[in-house]
This record gives sequence, C-alpha cells and structure tokens, in this order.
Amino acid sequence: MSVSRDDFSIAFRSALLQRGGAQKFSILSLIILAIFIFFLDVYGFTAVKKTRNIINDIIFRVSYIASSPSRFIPNTNKSISSHFFLKEENKKLKQVIENYKSLDLNLEYLTNENKNLRKVLDAENIDNNQKHIVLAKVLVDRNSPFLKSIIINKGTRSGIKKGMPVTQDNYLVGRIVDTNYLSSRVLLINDLNSRIPVTLDSDSTQAILTGSGTANPKLEYLPEEYEIEDEVTIFASGKDGIFIPGTPIGKTTNSSGKNSNEVKLFVDPNQLSFVTVKLVRLNKEKF
Amino acid sequence: MAKLNLLNKIFNTGPLILLYYLSISEVDTNLEKVFEIFTFNLPIIIIYFWILKRPSVMGTGHIFLAGLINDVVMGYPLGISSLSYLVVCFFSNYVRNKSVNTTIASDWFTFLIALIFANLLFFILLNNFSDITISYTKIGYNTFFTLFLFPILWFFFNIYHVNFIGGRDA
Repeated sequence: MSVSRDDFSIAFRSALLQRGGAQKFSILSLIILAIFIFFLDVYGFTAVKKTRNIINDIIFRVSYIASSPSRFIPNTNKSISSHFFLKEENKKLKQVIENYKSLDLNLEYLTNENKNLRKVLDAENIDNNQKHIVLAKVLVDRNSPFLKSIIINKGTRSGIKKGMPVTQDNYLVGRIVDTNYLSSRVLLINDLNSRIPVTLDSDSTQAILTGSGTANPKLEYLPEEYEIEDEVTIFASGKDGIFIPGTPIGKTTNSSGKNSNEVKLFVDPNQLSFVTVKLVRLNKEKF
Repeated sequence: MAKLNLLNKIFNTGPLILLYYLSISEVDTNLEKVFEIFTFNLPIIIIYFWILKRPSVMGTGHIFLAGLINDVVMGYPLGISSLSYLVVCFFSNYVRNKSVNTTIASDWFTFLIALIFANLLFFILLNNFSDITISYTKIGYNTFFTLFLFPILWFFFNIYHVNFIGGRDA
C-alpha cells in the first residue's frame, strides 16, 4: 500500500517538476506563470493593457500572413466559378438595376418627407455623416466554437472606439468590443454575448435580438402572445444609444418550426471580407 | 549524413509547427459549416499524443507560448489556453511516468481524464473571471468530438511517429 503511494507521489512530482531535453521549464513553473499572466490580464492594469494591445497588433498581422495560404484556395475556387456564371450573373444584375430604378423614383420623395418629419420631431440626434465611416479589412476570421468575433485592420489610430457599430453594405454585423492601436475585435451579432434592441413590423414592436452561437440569432422579450410572421424585416431600434436606429439586420424566418423566433441575417457573419465601422457619437436624448 | 540529420530535424519539428500554425492561423477545427455541432480541439490531441510518445519534439515552453498566441487570436483572457494545455501536458507526463507500454485503448481512457480536467479548468476560469458567456452544450459537443476523434488522430500521428521520427516510445 505504502509502496504504491510512494510510486504515485514520485510519478506525480516527476510529471510536475521534470526538466531536461526539450523540456527547458518544469510544468509547475509554467502553470504558475500562466496563472500570474491570467490574473494580470483579467484585473487589467494599464501597463498590461498597453502591452497586450501591442502584442495583439503584432500577432494579428502575423496571423493574417500565416492564414493567407488557407485563404488562397477558396478564393481561387470562387473566382473560377464566378467566371463560369458571368452571363447568368449579368442577366440577374440587369434585373436588379431595373428594380432599383423604379425604387429610386420613390426614394427622393421619401427622403424629403423623412427630412421634414425629422425637423418636426427635432430628432436629428445622429451624426450620420459619410466622413464618419471607416472601411476596414477583416484580418482574422477564426471561427471559435465559443466566441464569434473577427479582427479588423483599423484601431484607435483611425478613431475607432469600443461599442461602435459595424456594418457591411449598411447591414448591421456587430460591434467593436476591443480596440488596439492598429486593429480591433468585432463581436458578431450571432455571438452568445450579443444583445441588440430591435424593432419590427408596422407597429414598431420592440424586442431584443439575442445571439445564439448559431448562424441565426433569436428574438426575445417580444410582447406576450405575439405571433411572428415570416419575412418581416428587423431593424436596430437604437434604444441602447449604440446602434443607429433603422439599420437593417435580417428577416424573420419560420424555417425551424411554428412561430420560430429565429432571424435570418442579411449578411452571413462567416463570409466577411470588408466591413465599415460607423464612427458615430450619439447625442443624449433631450427630454 | 548531414542531409539526413536536417531531414530528421524537420520531421521532428513537424508537430510543433502544426501546433503553432493552429494557434496563429485562421485554420480552425470548428467545422460548424459542415455539421452544426461539429467542433473539436486539435491542439489538445497534439499535445497529449506527442508528450506521451515523444516529449522531445514538444517543449513545455512552446506549449505555453502556443497557448498565449491562441488566447490573443481567439480573444480569451491571456494564459487561459496555456493553463489548459499545461494540464493536458501534466496528465500526459504522469501517464508516461507510470506506464511502461501504452495501447490506444489506455491512451484513449487517460486522454478522457486529461480532457475533462483541462476543459473544466478552462470553463471555470472563463465563467468566473471574464465577461464571456459560453454555451454549455457547445462545451459538451466539443469535448465529445475531441474524445471521439482521438483514436483516429492517434492512428495518423502514430504513422508519422513510426515512419518519420522513429517509432520507439521515449
């Protein structure tokens, strides 16, 4: 009995403290170091944060270069297949242009009407100037099973701050959660940690769009006994003071059963190459 | 002779390069696009196998560094992946010290214990010390598929081990 206990303690100690050959450090010393770094990072001392920002910028750049071979093959495939479908695509695009032309006629009228109504409501609290938009390239799009986020190549140097909304083709895709000098992390709207106040249908029903970790986020906190219709467009309500009111997000879908609260996003968060960060500063509402 | 030595060195560093590449690149083992719940943790399998079979190809310092890089890329608090990798490393070291000859079945069983401890530590720390919310079902799927794929990857790594590094257990 005592022999086996000795045997256990020797193997245990050896596993923790053994060094030699390629093992330049004992596991115990590295575990202590990792715990130390972990708590330094979690309790966010300024010096550590600054160091981490520099490390982040360097590693994101290296990661972008290291990922280029894996990006090359799908891109080549895509360009070959798009070449073959060029004629068909051309036809579709012509159709789209025709549709846009007819919509354009209404747009001017609606824009003027919107301007006049805004004047009446004194609701011009959003600085939506085109100058305040930063175009950014997606550096790292590593699909973690637990955290849905991307890294973009613009940071505090370009005026990006935490909380700013991120869009693609004017569709909301997420918000900035971490900034470095030359890069930023964007939390995508399908992440489990994402909560966005939204509005839908002609009654301006309010709800919260909650990320579920899957491709389609879900609508929560809808009015009681509310029946969700198919193909209803979801817009950001802007009630949190972060997202621009009226930014389209997606459409309701009944794909997974009756009264499904899932929302099919306009932009697939796994297919982002370029995004725009809106450098908006929402004024506090005047009451 | 010198050419042979160089080739040996290249083959020896293969698993380490793979570990670093998985930590730093966009290449991931989250295959949700293929199958909605399919995710697994390849670095943990690599670390466990190579520390068990040939610790000389994978230094603990490198494992620690790969964990830190992984944390930066993934956006986790620094040191959390390193800790979970080092726990796997410790279990693997312990099993190597205690056993003379291992089989795929014994490796699989001990890997289960290492994986549970590593994931438990990872998620306890993430849950208590960060604002990141995690889905417990995803953790379950990730653990299950990592465990499920271990024998398959064990088989491939073993082929590499026997043919390119030299099949003697360390």
